[in-house]
Amino acid sequence: MKDLFSEIWSTLRQNKLRTTLTGLAVSWGIIIIIVLIGTGNGLMNALLNNSSDSVQNLIAVFPGSTSKAYNGMNEGTPIRFDDRDITFSEQYSEKIDRAFGSLYFSDTLSLGWEALSSQMAGVDPKMKEIMWEKLVAGRFINKNDLKNKSKHIVIDEDAASQLLGDDKDYNKILGKHVNVGNIPFKVVGILEREDQSWGHTSYIPYSTARALRADGAWLSRITMEFHGLETKEANEAFEKGYKRAMSTFHGADPEDTRTTYLSNYYLNNQEMSKAIRIMRLALWILGFLTLLSGIVGVSNIMLITVKERIHEFGIRKALGATPWSILKLIVVESIVITAFFGYIGMVIGMVADIFLDKTLGSHPMDMGFMQMYIFKNIGVGFDVAVEATLLLIVAGTVAGIIPAWKGAKVRPIEALRADK
Amino acid sequence: MLIELKDVNKTYYGAQPLHVLKGINLNIERGEFVSIMGASGSGKSTLLNILGILDNYDSGEYRIDGKLIWNLTESKAAEYRNKMIGFIFQSYNLIGFKTAVENVELPLFYQGISRHKRHEMAMDYLDRLGLKEWAGHYPNEMSGGQKQRVAIARALITKPDIILADEPTGALDSKTSVEIMELLKELNERDRLTIIVVTHESGVANYTNKIIHIKDGVIGEVEENRLHDSVRFGSDGALK
Repeated sequence: MKDLFSEIWSTLRQNKLRTTLTGLAVSWGIIIIIVLIGTGNGLMNALLNNSSDSVQNLIAVFPGSTSKAYNGMNEGTPIRFDDRDITFSEQYSEKIDRAFGSLYFSDTLSLGWEALSSQMAGVDPKMKEIMWEKLVAGRFINKNDLKNKSKHIVIDEDAASQLLGDDKDYNKILGKHVNVGNIPFKVVGILEREDQSWGHTSYIPYSTARALRADGAWLSRITMEFHGLETKEANEAFEKGYKRAMSTFHGADPEDTRTTYLSNYYLNNQEMSKAIRIMRLALWILGFLTLLSGIVGVSNIMLITVKERIHEFGIRKALGATPWSILKLIVVESIVITAFFGYIGMVIGMVADIFLDKTLGSHPMDMGFMQMYIFKNIGVGFDVAVEATLLLIVAGTVAGIIPAWKGAKVRPIEALRADK
Repeated sequence: MLIELKDVNKTYYGAQPLHVLKGINLNIERGEFVSIMGASGSGKSTLLNILGILDNYDSGEYRIDGKLIWNLTESKAAEYRNKMIGFIFQSYNLIGFKTAVENVELPLFYQGISRHKRHEMAMDYLDRLGLKEWAGHYPNEMSGGQKQRVAIARALITKPDIILADEPTGALDSKTSVEIMELLKELNERDRLTIIVVTHESGVANYTNKIIHIKDGVIGEVEENRLHDSVRFGSDGALK
């Protein structure tokens, strides 16, 4: 093996310029692949970050307003949700396992002299699974909280720091009581706060919120857990029927589609993963096509090399080189060029990814009304690096095989007769 | 009998089929120093290629040391060439990007001999041919005579049964030609090597002990040339 490499080294050294030019084509191909996949991953990470990870059989229902006058009801009458809508939804179909509401209101959080205003969200424990924010300490609202109407609260890390008087060690707030308005709530959990541009949201049990706002606050949303809706068509048919029923229930035109808005987590998630799959595939194809031009370049150069070296192969054959040894010499040479320059390309590509992550990936895009990350964690994983390496070796072999075959099968007398 | 050819025929099938060897019968004993002489187009190069297992023949029989050379796979032919035959070419055929010693090592590389061992052997052979100081030089840094001696070292290193020399002095001046022919003669006499020289120069042929004339694809006269006086330049040993 060492002999083989020293053979290859001496021929590569012979043709420095040619070797370098060939190699650059491969390096470039790999740089493109790594940067494409890296930014693609960044884009997908950002997308995924703005939604939940797991597939949820949930449909969220938001109230709208009528879009046409019907039966004495004016156009533009707002639809209001209350507990009767929860019951109605649960009874609407046997496919609905459970429905629960979310109740939002604004209030002031205070601890000693520190105070800040926050949106209070009275929620069901299930909401944890569809929230964007991740828990960083403690726990979320649980079933017992809901049952006991506990005065427990989950706040975000910034709010925690602020309430502690700008203490970065926000964990200290766990177990402390903070006031919501003038009612003390025990802090049981802390959420990460990613987007500084939104206000604070604090979570309390739905039952507690309902009790606090007994005067009849409207529900911001109803969330339904369902089963048995597998296909897109089944989901859409179900949604249509449900909207009709809700319109009727609220005394609006059954055909009015603006009385409620639905968001189907199950379908969204399916669409999202489909989109991601397609995007990933498209990126690989693009990258591969770029690499392909590199492969063609290497193959082309190897063909010329073989032609130039035909006489040498003739000498080698006369001295006892088997066709296999010639084949091996050329293929390994091709692999060495591709792998070496490919590796360089991979390193440069990864450095470029790091650079992009530091620039594009760490500054949110200002969309006016909100800030949003277009890219997040740009870069490729270890798996892609391994795949790319394997791809390079395969590419090198493919690039070398035709020229190698030509070199191996030439007859020694013809080769010896060839011009030097 | 080291080399036995029985009714060997070879035709090149081109636009016009060309019957190059028309039933060659030839026997060469171990330790012989012979030349095959003929004009260009006589079939001597084709015969040399067949003898060197670089080309195949259409009919007849060719045996080296009793082994029939017929229908060999490329790999088998490569193995036989490597073990049984040493080539010396008119144009040296050294690999330009390899040093003298690397060139000499090459046949051993294909025998799978270790790097260290083959380097040692190659240095030994270069030393014998007086080229020890030139071991690290590339072919383009050497004179024609030196290059041919490197090629001879390369041919000798596997201790082959047969040395095939194709116009070994063709690219050399007359003084160097004499040196090379003297060297081959010495190798034959001292080491009992079987050497076959293919040439069209009678002066070169005169160095050998037997001259086989080939004409129009058939073996003509076979001269015993023990006294090296068969040609008119023979008496004073001059070439060209």
